Amino acid sequence: MADIQKLYDAILNGDAKSAAAIANEAIAENMSPMELIQKTMVPAMDEVGRRFECEEYFVPELLLSARAMKAALGPLRPLLAASGAQPAGRVVIGTVKGDLHDIGKNLVASLLEGGGFDVVDLGADVSPDKFIEAVKNSGANIVCLSALLTVTMPSMKTTIEAMKSAGVREQVKVLVGGAPVTKQFAEEIGADGYGENASVAVSLARTLTKPVSA
Amino acid sequence: MNRDYYLDLARRGLRFVIGADLVLHEDADPERTRRNGEGLGRVVEKTARRQKSPLAIPLMDLRLEKLDLLGPLHLSEAEADAWKLAEPDEELFRALESAPAGFPELNRAQHEAVRYIDEQTDLLPVGMVIGPFSLTTKLMADPIAAVAMAGGGVTPDEEPQVRLLTALHALAERAVLRSAKAQLQAGARALLVCEPAANIVYLSPRQMRQGADIFERFVLGPNRRLKQTLKDGSADLFFHDCGELLTEMVRAFGEDLHPKILSLGSSRKLWDDAAVVPKDVVLYGNLPTKSFYSDAAMPVEEVLRRTRELIREMRKTGHAHILGSECDVLWVDGAADTIRNKVEAMQRHEVAQ
Repeated sequence: MADIQKLYDAILNGDAKSAAAIANEAIAENMSPMELIQKTMVPAMDEVGRRFECEEYFVPELLLSARAMKAALGPLRPLLAASGAQPAGRVVIGTVKGDLHDIGKNLVASLLEGGGFDVVDLGADVSPDKFIEAVKNSGANIVCLSALLTVTMPSMKTTIEAMKSAGVREQVKVLVGGAPVTKQFAEEIGADGYGENASVAVSLARTLTKPVSA
Repeated sequence: MNRDYYLDLARRGLRFVIGADLVLHEDADPERTRRNGEGLGRVVEKTARRQKSPLAIPLMDLRLEKLDLLGPLHLSEAEADAWKLAEPDEELFRALESAPAGFPELNRAQHEAVRYIDEQTDLLPVGMVIGPFSLTTKLMADPIAAVAMAGGGVTPDEEPQVRLLTALHALAERAVLRSAKAQLQAGARALLVCEPAANIVYLSPRQMRQGADIFERFVLGPNRRLKQTLKDGSADLFFHDCGELLTEMVRAFGEDLHPKILSLGSSRKLWDDAAVVPKDVVLYGNLPTKSFYSDAAMPVEEVLRRTRELIREMRKTGHAHILGSECDVLWVDGAADTIRNKVEAMQRHEVAQ
């Protein structure tokens, strides 16, 4: 029988191979995917988040755990979709135009996926038009904008303004983050939220969204 | 130069920011000047003279070694900048081992700028390279996970991501050494090694405290070898890391790499770090210049307050210190005057004993 405690431990320890293997075993034994997620996997990620907040874990541990969560979710997703379960939200994420840095963006995307969000990752150096097109095509309810450089921060404002002009701003919540970004800057450019780190960004996304139709 | 030279600059109250980008953008066509060795050299000279500094610190362009390393792939500059590898590719690794004879245009301009400073001015020609670890992170799609797995004891044979990390790290070190040697040949008498990715985002403090060798293997070891290359070329090491660091990492940079100048980011309290850095290493920095673009985030009064605090606290420690920036001061469209005003304010500000 699949050892569910080991699934919890695998996520906590960032062991993606074990996490996926145990999830597969659990499916083979007809365990409920939703129960696995809600009773084991989400609590494991919550514990990861707690350890991150108290500086017992750091970004590398956070990332490995998110990868393990994603690996375990892999075999569960088709079953969830078949059962009509809805994602926590649908997110379009990218580093804004002119900025090629993607480490922070990748981390947030991984944690969002681990947190049960559908994520459309547009990569780095993303133009406002691409964000708008992705929002229209995906039906996203969150847009996450990342920038590492002070010189590219204005692209965040440009993107938000372009979304207004294109008539998609009201259908999404916009979160911004990155090393030079501040809460004050987020407010100035009309964003809905500012994540000072990846963990906060995911919490904010959870707070700001409700499940969307699949 | 012997250490006394730099210690004396600190004692005389030298202040400068890494600011060639600001001066470059005063040019009518910055992109053209960036590609012209003599023109770029004049920018570097102007930056130093304006700040009354004898150190000709070059433009901080940390794309250059990546551009050179990817030369065999014949990519455009933009393609090379965005290039990242997600999985190991042995054929590609072999291709990248065959560095072409010449350097890309931007790299040549950087080398010629060093030569201009050496041959046409009385300033100290300083070269610049990205650190081997930081270059590695620019080559990988997911460097953090790979480093964390390596830190957890996973070997290249067990995990493709660790194989990728190991292979690219070796290539990165070669590219950095090649760049360093070219700048030494052009006349550099010191080299500023920028290793901003050597920080606790990429290197887990938890793993390091548990005894993982990732800091030694990926950061200290290669930079020690780089320092030896500089020593062989009679050039000095300046070491810059504006990332978030553990005090143990700062101690290792100071004691193990033992640079002539150690430049740290604004997350560090230099007066605390003075206790763990050898007295003969000049500490440089570390005003929060990344925020200078915004009067709301960093009003000039706050720049002056931090200037006073930093100078006074460093005086108390008795440690040699050059007041400067936390990193390079970038030109920001629409905010260049705001940034310049703050740079000038921190340089002019009198701080009583």
